[in-house]
Parts: sequence; C-alpha cells; structure tokens
Amino acid sequence: MPQLDFSVFPSQLFWLCITFFAMLFIMSRFIIPKTAEMINLRKEKIDGYLEKAAELKEKVEKTLDKYNQALQEASDEAAQSLQKTQQELDAMIERRQADLAAELNRQITEGEKKIAAGKDKAMRQVEEISADLALDVLKKLGFNHFKAKDVNAAMKQSGEN
Amino acid sequence: MSNPMEQFVIKPLIPLEIGGVDVSFTNSALFMVLAVVVSTLVFALCLRKRSLVPNAAQSAVESIYEFVQNLLRENVGVEGLKYFPFIFTVFLFVAFGNLLGLFPYAFTFTSHLTAVGSLSLIALLFNVLIGIKKKKIGWLRTFMPRGIPFALAPLIVPIEMISFLSKPFSLTVRLVANMTVGHIMLKIIAGFVVALGVFGVVPLLFNSCIVCFEIFIALLQAFIYTVLSCIYLGDALHEH
Repeated sequence: MPQLDFSVFPSQLFWLCITFFAMLFIMSRFIIPKTAEMINLRKEKIDGYLEKAAELKEKVEKTLDKYNQALQEASDEAAQSLQKTQQELDAMIERRQADLAAELNRQITEGEKKIAAGKDKAMRQVEEISADLALDVLKKLGFNHFKAKDVNAAMKQSGEN
Repeated sequence: MSNPMEQFVIKPLIPLEIGGVDVSFTNSALFMVLAVVVSTLVFALCLRKRSLVPNAAQSAVESIYEFVQNLLRENVGVEGLKYFPFIFTVFLFVAFGNLLGLFPYAFTFTSHLTAVGSLSLIALLFNVLIGIKKKKIGWLRTFMPRGIPFALAPLIVPIEMISFLSKPFSLTVRLVANMTVGHIMLKIIAGFVVALGVFGVVPLLFNSCIVCFEIFIALLQAFIYTVLSCIYLGDALHEH
C-alpha cells in the first residue's frame, strides 16, 4: 500500500511545508485582506445607515415633541384668552347692570319725589279750595262773621283729629 | 483491470536531495503546488471586481470566509479570530487537495498519511506554540490538569500525552481513510465500466453518482478537519 511507504515522508513534509506556508502567505497577505475589506466596508456602511436612520428618527421625534408642545401652548393660550374675554364680558355686563339699576333707582326715587310733591301741592290746593268752598257755604248760610282764618283753623283741627 | 492502488503511488518528477535527504519533487508535491495555485487563482478571479453589492463570485468567496470565521468563533471564541488566516488556509488547502484529486488522472495528496500527517504536524506545532505563548510554563498543565492528586501524575501524564499526540493522528487517519476509500471505490467501479462493455453504462451511471458524493465528502472532510483543528486550537488557548 503506497500510503504506508514512509520513505517519502521527508519529501512530503518538505513540499507540504513550502506549499502550505506559501498558501498561508498568499491568503493572509492578499486574499483575506481583500475579502475582509469589502465585508467590513459593507458592515460599516450598513452600520452608518442604521446610525443615520436612528439619528433621523430622534430628530423627527424631537420635532414632533416641539410641535406637540407648540400646539399645547397655543391651545392653552387660546383657552386663557377665551377665559379672559369671558371674564371681561361678565364684568362689563355686571357693571352695566349695576349702572342701569342705579339709574333706574335714581329715576324711581326722583319720580316718587315728584309724585309726592305733586300730591302735596294737590292736597294743598284741595284744602284751599275746600276752605274757600266752606267759607262760601257759610256766607250763603248767613254766617258772615266767619272769616277765612277760622275756616282754616277748623280744617286744621279736623285734619289733626 | 489495473490495480486500484496504483493511483496512490508517489513518483518522483524532479529528483532533489538536500543534505543527503531525498526531497524530490513528486506527483504529490505537484498537486500541493496545484492546490495553492488553483485556490489562489480562483479566489483572485472571484475578487477581481469587488463591490459593496457583491456579484455571485464575490459572494461565494465571502460566504467561505464568513463560514470559516463563524467556525472559528463558535469553536474557539473571539480570541481565536487572530488565527483566522491559519485555519482558513488549512480549510482551503485540504478542500482543494481533496477536490483536485477527483479529476481523472489526478493525484490526491490528502489520501497520503505522510502528506496529511505533515499538515497535522504543522497544526500540532502551531497549537503548541500558541499554547506556550498564551500560558507560558502553565501550558504544561495540559498534561496534568488541575485538581488531580499529585500521586496520580505517573498515570495521568502519560495518558494525557498520548491523548494530546493522538489528536493529530486521528485527524490524519480520518481524512486519509475517507479519501483513500473513495478513490479506490471510484477506480474499481470505473474498471467495471470497461469490463462490462455495453452494460458498462450501469457502473458508469453509478460512478457518476459516486463522484457527486465524493465531491460532498471532499468538502465535508475538509470541514471536519478544520473543525477539529479549531477545537484543538481552542484546547490550546483555554484551560482544560
């Protein structure tokens, strides 16, 4: 069996060492770096893309946050403004109502005063007319000695009673 | 029918002698050189047009590269990646040696104890050197694992030494036996093709199937040889 012929061992070992180390040299110097270069470049590029994608995602999230914040602020502001306007309106309505009530009260008081004055005046005239009438009646009845001041005094007295 | 063992005969092509030792350039040496040349040419050709988006050829090379890299990472760990060129070369050297041997009239140097033994010897020396470099004197612990009573040393040390030296031997025998048997089978069945005349088409078809199977075996054995080299490298790097 040729496999068991160990006389060729030195020659086999010698050539195997030469060829194997030559191949090791070629592989480690040329083939492996060339292959690794592309694989690493690709990996870097993919990693780069992933990084960029992550960066963009972060940016988008930040922008979205800002937008939401701005929206919230605007909404808050609008709500505040609305509330303020409402308060102002309420205050104005209240003020106007108060003014109107005061004016009405004043007019009522004035009217009442006028009515009271008119009433007094009318009463006085009624009294005068009544006195004149009473004096005329007395004169017609023949009680000429009654004077106007007597009638007035009598009327005053009856008014007090 | 010619002798099926004839294909394994080593013939000197260029007689050469260094210091009284016969180191003739033989047909075996020729195929070792061819393995180097062909593998280099194939890889160089595949990597001729490199791009970020690889074509089929570049993809194939990168697949082999990543395959061996994963093999090393799984069996040795990340620290083993330093020795990637060595393992990569072992894989390609054996794979191309096996595959080239499948061509008609070719010589399969991986079917020779002396050739594969030499390669295993290189791998063994490589492991020893790495082990000593990594663990310094502690490398001797390989033969006397921790936690074993000193009294057992006379028994354990020889056993561990035999186990250590039998690794390259088993590596060699496994590859050589597979290659030899496959080639003998091919040759014997090929002999029937001629002997049976018209009916030779049956063994011819059978032989075609066996060739396909042998291609698979050639790659599988290269893979096994590489995996075991990785495991032995792992043993050299890590504690027992």
